[in-house]
Amino acid sequence: MKITDLLKKESIITRTQVASREEAIDLLISLHEKAGNLNDREAYKESILAREASGTTAIGDGIAIPHAKSDAVRQAGLAAISLPEGVDYQAPDGKPSNLVFMIAAPKDGDLHLEVLSRLMILLMDMDLRQKLMDADTPEEFLEAIDEKEKERYMKEAEPAAAVKQQDQNPTGQEKKTVRILAVTACPTGIAHTFMAAEALEKKAKEMGVFLKAETNGSGGAKNVLTPEEIEEADGIIIAADKNVEMVRFDGKPVYKTNVSAGINKPEELINMILEGKAPIYHYEGEKTTDATSIGKESVGHQIYKHLMNGVSYMLPFVIGGGIMIALAFLIDTIADAPRDGNFGTYTAAAAFFKTIGGVAFGFMMPVLAGYIARSIADRPGLAVGFVGGSIATMGCTFANVGGDPAAVSGFIGALIAGFAGGFIVLGLKRLFRFLPSSLESMMPVLILPLLGTILIGAFMCLINPFVGVLNQAISNGLNSMGSTSQILLGCILAGMMAIDMGGPFNKAAYVFGTAAIASGGFNVMAAVMIGGMVPPIAIALATTFFKSKFTVEERKAGMVNYIMGLCFITEGAIPFAASDPFRVIPACVAGSAVAGGISMAMNCTLRAPHGGIFVFPVVGNVGGYLLALAVGSLVGMILLGILKKSHAGKAQ
Amino acid sequence: MVSKEIKVINAEGLHMRPASALAAAMGKYGCNVSIEHNQTSVNAKSVMHLMAACIKCGAEIRIVCDGPDEEEALKAAVSMFEAGFGEK
Repeated sequence: MKITDLLKKESIITRTQVASREEAIDLLISLHEKAGNLNDREAYKESILAREASGTTAIGDGIAIPHAKSDAVRQAGLAAISLPEGVDYQAPDGKPSNLVFMIAAPKDGDLHLEVLSRLMILLMDMDLRQKLMDADTPEEFLEAIDEKEKERYMKEAEPAAAVKQQDQNPTGQEKKTVRILAVTACPTGIAHTFMAAEALEKKAKEMGVFLKAETNGSGGAKNVLTPEEIEEADGIIIAADKNVEMVRFDGKPVYKTNVSAGINKPEELINMILEGKAPIYHYEGEKTTDATSIGKESVGHQIYKHLMNGVSYMLPFVIGGGIMIALAFLIDTIADAPRDGNFGTYTAAAAFFKTIGGVAFGFMMPVLAGYIARSIADRPGLAVGFVGGSIATMGCTFANVGGDPAAVSGFIGALIAGFAGGFIVLGLKRLFRFLPSSLESMMPVLILPLLGTILIGAFMCLINPFVGVLNQAISNGLNSMGSTSQILLGCILAGMMAIDMGGPFNKAAYVFGTAAIASGGFNVMAAVMIGGMVPPIAIALATTFFKSKFTVEERKAGMVNYIMGLCFITEGAIPFAASDPFRVIPACVAGSAVAGGISMAMNCTLRAPHGGIFVFPVVGNVGGYLLALAVGSLVGMILLGILKKSHAGKAQ
Repeated sequence: MVSKEIKVINAEGLHMRPASALAAAMGKYGCNVSIEHNQTSVNAKSVMHLMAACIKCGAEIRIVCDGPDEEEALKAAVSMFEAGFGEK
């Protein structure tokens, strides 16, 4: 946070004159309004005046800082006026005030405290005060602050680091600050990625170490590490549950671990680098994953990582396609189209949505298989996996290469194709090691694509008849399941979503839900999503209705959980679960299971694998779904209220 | 010299109102009063210094008094912090 980020030149008036404190306040408020910082001018003014009524905000030395935290503030901001003649602001030292800054801060957080602190640090400087008084234009005013802030900021950062270093360095010799880089990534890339990055950066700051974390989230890589930074770094921490680009770290000490270690054990990870325990990383051509599998990662984690890599690339296709198809049905329902074979393409608009959505949906299996294979064998795996995934959806067999509907191996087939494709390519690479280096360039452009495709084709044709039968059996099983077992399935899957909120159990249930979409089990997906929505909402409700059971910070975080829950971001519940797992998790699991069971019993269906409240319009039997969500959240909330211990004693 | 470690309990931290109250109260004593927080030490008789320190709720601080009436000053400061400056 910088003062110059908050103070714009439009919200400064230099060398003006006001008759009274009230006039100064009005002027500053209109500056805030002009800068677009306010939602409600009158409400904000009321807060400012209420604050003035409880004691003047003049602090002496000619400075006054009226301020208010209010819901009327749209965005945090600063406004300033300079008054050569001063105004009586009832300062404790009795002097008139010449510089008046007004802070507009949103209701939540400590922002106004930080702004006050920064302003004070700057204004303690007599020089700057004089410069601000002398400034003739807003530009000059702002420039004086900017210059001082830059100078001050640089000075502050350096000695702090130097002091830390001297502690460890009794000779007093100046030593370079340790520089650590980190890359965090998780399969969904919404919450864990950023939590790990934040935990690492926070801990590093406490330890007096420089740390920059790159986040490979669902929106692509943010805060990307530059080659220069990598060159200068003393070590790199990779906290990821999916593959990250590794070639750039060749020759540097690299410590690889999973994303939860980044969240839970940041100190340990940083110490690994500080103590030089991280091994020097060597990028071995395209065999990175091969090399790491020999290392300390367990086979289970390897499989999970490859699978999740595929799933994370697949999801956008399913989300886009699934929602479009659901919209098509919605449109035809509204148009009152006959429910025959053409339902969903009856009106022109519906036909558009259904066809385009179908195209997107059609990529689901190839992309899944392709990116699993790519995760295993790097780039050459991609094509082989894609082809394998397509063959799985076509149901090709040796007896009927054109595709046999009974041999469509679907989601399971695509999974197998992905892993098979990856290992076929790895195997081919091993096999052709004898090639002289002059012919090595033939590998990726000819040998791997050609032989890989032939082999995956043959392999899929071979297994399709068997896996097809299995796939058919599962989807028949899902569709013909009695209502009791359906409800039980809904309870189990929804409960699993809440057990670890984004961990392996949650992912297993989620992948099962998306796989069910592929075979027409839309009610399964509905139960899975509601299971993921309940925990944050139940916690948010509990923080609202059982205030005494939570700390102040938790109550604030609780508000955000309403939104997280409605958006189907189960991860919002993690901080609460982590601080009190044995009470929070059972309550959430119970709430989710109830919701999942009701959703199944009401026969709610969902064709999109994500989206929370935003896809409710396309949910089948949305009334029942809302009921399930409400009941499940209430059950979770009540259990939280019963199980959690009162926090009132500690808070006082 | 006397000192005491204490935790800031008022939810809004040491914002302008408590800072002014503390500075005004400490101004009455002859001894030096400083607050150590986050590896820096600030003059507790100056509103500016106190606010510049950016002391938030939950912060662990040390109050240090040094001079003739140090005992009384420390007692007064501690009781103000303990009362949360009359805020929740």
